[in-house]
Amino acid sequence: MSLLEVRDLRVNVDDKPILKGLDLTVEPGEVHAVMGPNGSGKSTLASVLAGRPGYDIDAGSITLDDKDLTAATPEERAHLGLFLAFQYPIEIPGVSNMEFLKAAVDAHAAHVGLSEPSAVEFIKRARAAAEQLHLSADFLKRGVNEGFSGGEKKRNEILQMLLLEPRLAVLDETDSGLDIDALQVVAEGINAFRAADNAIVLVTHYQRLLNYVVPDHVHVLIDGRIARSGDRTLAHTLEDEGYGWLDD
Amino acid sequence: MAGSTTDTLAVPRGGPVATPSALAQRLLDIEPGGRSAWLDPAACQAVIARGLPDTRGEPWKYTNVNRWYDVALEAHDTTPLGVDAPDGILVVDFDDPRAQPLAAAHGGKAFDLAEQPLAAVNGLLLGAGLAIVVPSDWHGDAPVRLSEGGPPYQHILLVVESGASMTLIEEASGFTHRIVEAVVEAGGHLHHLRRQRPAPTRECSLVAVRLDQHAQYDLSMSSRGAELRRNDVVVTLAGSAAQVTVHGAWRLVGREHLDNQVAIRHVAPQGLSRQTYRGVVADRARAVLNGRIHIAAGAKATDAALNTKNLLATDNAEVYAKPELEIFESDVQCSHGATVGTLDEEAVFFLRSRGLSDEAARALLVRGFLREAIADDEGAARLELVV
Repeated sequence: MSLLEVRDLRVNVDDKPILKGLDLTVEPGEVHAVMGPNGSGKSTLASVLAGRPGYDIDAGSITLDDKDLTAATPEERAHLGLFLAFQYPIEIPGVSNMEFLKAAVDAHAAHVGLSEPSAVEFIKRARAAAEQLHLSADFLKRGVNEGFSGGEKKRNEILQMLLLEPRLAVLDETDSGLDIDALQVVAEGINAFRAADNAIVLVTHYQRLLNYVVPDHVHVLIDGRIARSGDRTLAHTLEDEGYGWLDD
Repeated sequence: MAGSTTDTLAVPRGGPVATPSALAQRLLDIEPGGRSAWLDPAACQAVIARGLPDTRGEPWKYTNVNRWYDVALEAHDTTPLGVDAPDGILVVDFDDPRAQPLAAAHGGKAFDLAEQPLAAVNGLLLGAGLAIVVPSDWHGDAPVRLSEGGPPYQHILLVVESGASMTLIEEASGFTHRIVEAVVEAGGHLHHLRRQRPAPTRECSLVAVRLDQHAQYDLSMSSRGAELRRNDVVVTLAGSAAQVTVHGAWRLVGREHLDNQVAIRHVAPQGLSRQTYRGVVADRARAVLNGRIHIAAGAKATDAALNTKNLLATDNAEVYAKPELEIFESDVQCSHGATVGTLDEEAVFFLRSRGLSDEAARALLVRGFLREAIADDEGAARLELVV
């Protein structure tokens, strides 16, 4: 049983077909990179996996651990172990990062029937995760993403991933807008998360994150379909030659 | 503990009074004199004789004042007005012999009666009056607590003597009209926390504060609506380098109604004022905020700001948010901002993608939004009222 299976996925956004029959299989322990030019459907794929409203599935199926996600709400997908790191993280003024993270962790605990972690236990975990991402303790007290730099916002997404321990993490252009230092910190976080019982789908435009998070498989998305799949060397080829040669 | 109820009205009770002129006629029939008062009855009658407001004027554009006139003469339960004050703070009933000098020195000095005709009605129908004096040499932390309910018309006069500091925690509901009038003398500080529960009532209030030199007033309001609820707030920065902050957070549901009319009057130099409001309005409720900043000629180096943000939770909810600037001095800084919007659906999706239910996601966003206008230690309790 694969961890994630996407079969013949067809998706319209505003009545326009964006994904036109996409297949993707992810096994436990794997990291898959999905690359492609602007407008190829990369972010649509990430949105559809997470259940973003407005992304209608026309045909096909998505299963996570053999459970059909096609009609599931975003929170049901989260409870089943899916996590989306947002390309543009949301600011929530007035809600502290700590309050938000606790609410998210508690929601997961409630779903699996575990008791909520105590405040002390939770703060300990959150601080350890923040430290791992080189974020100060003060960072947890601030409003969610409020006044955060681009790099801090992306690190905050990874922080949430570390605390929620999903089965499948979909990282939507988590590398965009990061300087080289922040990129390394983010990559360290992703590598720390990587384990035999979870999987990662990295959606990215550039190859550079893949220098730090080495993928098992690389897929190239062109015009709503996977045009080519390969190992990590495919990413280097794309870096050298661009996407043009795949059109032929 | 002190309380007061007096029912010596010389006006006939009962029967709705649906028009301003009908109410005015009854009030003008009252024989002035012989009754304890904070406000001069003759002055009140003079204001009323010029005409009570109707729905045509700007100040009552969004609140049908006739519905308040309707209940203006209605008697209701006569639980006494409750006040808890720590030792060392003087609390005097309006019929106490010590009251008259206080009334003469301070009563009606923090606002212009002609601009507050409902206060003139209050002046004639007063059922409970209290003066609270915080002496200069009082240094305590315990707050003064003012309860809800009490006789229909109430007037609380606070005097914070120079250099003194006090906190007033007020449950502001369950009356027909309440005046909270405060004079904060030089270097004094009044911290005023005001809570308004939802109620099936029609009630109006006036908060009027005069700040002397270097005095400070911090008002934090958290409100639900009523059948008709109107709050007039007038703060006059009469002495130089006075400071005022106003925070207001409200959430209205059903057919609740809340009308806040706030006027900050800078008449002395170097004054600082900050106003922050956050409102969430759902169903068929209506919220009004009129925030006036008046900067008089000579109020040099004034620094004033007003910010109001509103969330409409349904298509039928109504928000009227209006900053009003009257600036007669050039050497000032004054900024204002007003927005009306809906919950950010992308933020709702973000929270749901983290496992929160749709309902929990929206509740958390509303809580965060309102919290921006609740900026103090006791905020948590008041936040619970509105979320």
